[in-house]
Amino acid sequence: MAAVQAVEIEEIRRVFTPRKRDPVTALDGVSLTIPVGEVHGLLGPNGAGKTTLVKILSTVLLPTDGRALVYGHDVVTETKAVRPLIGIVFGGERGLYTRLTARQNLEYWGALYRLSGAEIKERSAMLLERVGLTDRADQRVEEYSRGMKQRLHLARGLMGDARVLFLDEPTTGMDPLAAREFRTLIGELKGEGRTILLTTHDMVEAETVCDRVTLIDRGRILATETPRTLGSLISRFQRIDIDGGADRLIADIELIPGVSSVAVQPDGSTRIEVNEEGTTAVVLKQLVDAGVTSVKTSLPSLEEVYVQMIGERGLTV
Amino acid sequence: MRAFLAGARMQLRFFRAYPDGLIPFFTAPMFSIIFQMNFRHAGRQDLTAYAAIAPVFIALWWLALFNSGWTITTERWNGTIEMLVAAPSSFAANIFGRITTTTLVGVVSFVETWGVARLIFGTKVTIHHVWPFLATVVVTLAAMAGTAVAMAALFVLARNATTFSNSASFPFYVLGGILVPVSVLPHWIQPLSSAVFLSWSADLLRAALRPTPMHDFAFRLGMVAFLGACGLAVGTWSMRVILVRVRGSGELGTT
Amino acid sequence: MRNLVSNARVAWYAILSGANDYWAIFTLKSWIFGWCVRMISQVSFFALIGKLLRSDLQTEFLLVGNAVVIAAAAATFAMFMTTSERGNGTLSLLLASPSRPVVVFAARGVYVMADGVFSALLGLFILGPAFGLHFPFPRILLVIPLTLLVGTSAYCFSTFLAGVILRYREITGLVVNATIVTLMALCGVNVPVSFYPTWLGWISRCLPITNGLEAIRDVINGSPWSSIAAHTGAELLVASVWLSLALATFGRFMRAGQRDGSLEYAS
Repeated sequence: MAAVQAVEIEEIRRVFTPRKRDPVTALDGVSLTIPVGEVHGLLGPNGAGKTTLVKILSTVLLPTDGRALVYGHDVVTETKAVRPLIGIVFGGERGLYTRLTARQNLEYWGALYRLSGAEIKERSAMLLERVGLTDRADQRVEEYSRGMKQRLHLARGLMGDARVLFLDEPTTGMDPLAAREFRTLIGELKGEGRTILLTTHDMVEAETVCDRVTLIDRGRILATETPRTLGSLISRFQRIDIDGGADRLIADIELIPGVSSVAVQPDGSTRIEVNEEGTTAVVLKQLVDAGVTSVKTSLPSLEEVYVQMIGERGLTV
Repeated sequence: MRAFLAGARMQLRFFRAYPDGLIPFFTAPMFSIIFQMNFRHAGRQDLTAYAAIAPVFIALWWLALFNSGWTITTERWNGTIEMLVAAPSSFAANIFGRITTTTLVGVVSFVETWGVARLIFGTKVTIHHVWPFLATVVVTLAAMAGTAVAMAALFVLARNATTFSNSASFPFYVLGGILVPVSVLPHWIQPLSSAVFLSWSADLLRAALRPTPMHDFAFRLGMVAFLGACGLAVGTWSMRVILVRVRGSGELGTT
Repeated sequence: MRNLVSNARVAWYAILSGANDYWAIFTLKSWIFGWCVRMISQVSFFALIGKLLRSDLQTEFLLVGNAVVIAAAAATFAMFMTTSERGNGTLSLLLASPSRPVVVFAARGVYVMADGVFSALLGLFILGPAFGLHFPFPRILLVIPLTLLVGTSAYCFSTFLAGVILRYREITGLVVNATIVTLMALCGVNVPVSFYPTWLGWISRCLPITNGLEAIRDVINGSPWSSIAAHTGAELLVASVWLSLALATFGRFMRAGQRDGSLEYAS
C-alpha cells in the first residue's frame, strides 16, 4: 500500500470570471506531490498562481477542474477532514484583529480550532514563547512591527497543531535578521514532521529552507527540483571567472562558439559566460593552455534560473 | 456550539476594542431625554411611558444595523474571512454567536432609558401586564437578532450596503411606529408598517404599560415571531450564498 | 497678505479634496434614495409627535427645529473627515508641509456642511407643506442664509472638537454621534430654551444652533426684526468664538500628539 502523501495535486485548473472582464486562468493543469515532512517552495512572480493554489489547498477556494488531496482527503468534498489538518499563514498586514492583543487573537482561533479552554491557554502561551512574543503578548497587534505580526501569523497558523502548513510569502517585508529567525523556525517545524508549502519570491529563502522548489509562472509549473538541481538544469549557463587575462586571450575566448559574453568586472577579474553544453570544457582548456591558473567556475544561482526560465519580464505583470 | 461561544466572547472583546460599538449606549439616554422633554413640555405625562420604549428600539436597531450588519463585511476588509471559512468550526455558528451577543447587550439600553427618565424627570414606568411584557421583550430580541443576521448577510451581497445602512435607521423608526404609533401615520403608509416587526412589537409593549386589557396578544406576538423568523430564514439562506461565493467564485475573499 | 492668499489657496484645494471624497461615497441615486430618504424620515419622525399631540403649533415647532438640525448634524459629521487624515496616513505628510494643518482641517469638511444646509432647506420646504404648514413669503427666504449660519456655526464647533479628539481617533464615531444627539437635546430643537432650567439655558445659548434656530423661528412666526437681528447676532458671536477656539487650540493639540506619538497610528 502506497504511503499517504501530505499533498497531492492532480491537474488542478482554476479560472476566474470577473464581472465585465475576460476570464482569467490562474492555474492551468497543475500537478504536484508533496511527501510528508517536506518543505516545498513555490517560486514565481506576481500573478503566477501561487496564492490561488494555496487557497485551493486550504479549502478556501474551489478548483474549476482537477483534484487535490491533503493526507488523502479531497479538499472539495472532505473539508471536515481537511480543515483540522491544515494551518494557513498568509503574510502581510491583514488577517489579524489589530485592536486585540496577540494573546486574544490566538485564543479566538484556538476556540475555532475546537480546542478546550485549558488547551487554548496552554498552547497560546507555548506558541507565543516559541515565536518570541511572550513579552508583548498583551499588547495590541496594531502596535507591532511587521516582523512581529508575521510571527504572530505563524503562531496563529499553528494553533490547530496543523500537520500541513501553508505559508504565503511569509517573509515579505521582513528585515534580514527577522527573516533569518523565521527560517530557523521553519526548520524546527520540519523537524517536528510537519509538511510545509511555502510560496515566495525570495530566492535565498527558497535555496536555504526548501527541500524542493517548484517554479510556477502564469498558472503552469515549469520545473520541480531541489534547489541545487534546478541550478544544474541550466548548467549550460555556467560562468567562469579568471584573474587578469591578456587581451589576446580574451579576444580568442570570445570567438569560441557557445561563449555568450566576456566582461571585465570592477575588481579586475574577467567573467566568461557560456550558454551551450560542453563549451565550458573548451574554454577551460584554452585558459589552461594559456597559463591562466586562477580559474573559478560556478553554477547559476536560483535567481538566474528563475530569470532565465521565466524570462525578462521585469516589472510588467 | 464552541464556534457560537467563541463568536460571543469575541464580540464582547470587540465592544471594548472598538468604542464605536458603544454609540447606542450613549445615544439611547439622550433620546430618552429628548422624548421625555417633548411630552412633558406638551403637558402629556400620560405619554411619557411611550418615551421610555422608543430609545430601546433605537438602540437595538442601531446595534443590528451597524454592529451586527457589518460583522461579515469587516471580516472581509480585515482579511480574516477566508481563515474563518477554513477553520474547522462552523462559520455560520460563529457569526450567529457574535450577532446574538450584540443583541443581548442591547438590553442594557432598557436600564439606561428608564433610569434616565426616572432620575431626571421623575417618570415612573409601570408595567401593568408583566408576563406579556417580558414575553414581548424576549421575542423582540429574537426577532431583532434574526433580522440582524439577514442584514449581516445581505450587506455582503448587496452593492449599496453602505448607503442602505446609513439611511435605514429613521425610515424604520417611522414605519415601525416606535414612538408615534402607526395609527397616526398617513393611511397609505400603514400597510408597509405591518411588514416591519417593530410596529407589532412597539404596540405590544405600549399596551403592556397601559392598565387596559391587552387584545389579541397571541396573534400579535406571533407576528413578531413570524417576521423575525423570516429575517432569520433570509439570513441563513444568504449566508449559504456567501460561502459559495467565497469558495466558488473567489469574489468575496478579497475586498 | 501673502499668508492670507496662500492659506486661501490651501483651503480651496482642501475643499475640493473634501468634495471629491464625498462624491466618492455618494452617487446621485444613493444621495436621493439613501441620504434624502433618511433625512426626510428623521424630520418626519419628530414632526409626527406634533400629530400625536394633535397640535399644529407643536408640529411646526418640531418640524422646523429638526429640519434645521440636519444642517448642524452634517456639519458635525465633517469631523470624520479630519480624523480620516490620520487614518489615511496623510497626517504626517500634512504636518511636514509648510501650511497650517488647521486650515486644511477646517476646509476639508466644508462641502459636507454645505450639503447639510441644502438638505435641511430641502426638508423644510418639502415637509413643511406636506405637514400642512404655511410659510410667510417672501420673509421665509431669510431662512436660507440663517440656516447657512447655523450650519457654519455648528461647523466651527465641530472643528474645535475635531482638534480635541485628534489624538483619540478611535472614539470619533462615538463623539460625533453623541454630539449630534446632545445638540438635539440642548439647543432648543425639540423644546424651547425657556423649558430648560436657567443654568442649562445659559449653556444652551453658548452652543451652536440655539440662537440661529430662534432667529429662524422668529422669521416664520412673524416676530419683530429686532428679535431676528438679536438672535442672528448672537449666533454669529457663538460661531466666531468656537472658530477662534479651534484656531487657537488646534496647533496645541497637534503638538501634544506629536510629543506623545499618538498621531502616528494609521489604523
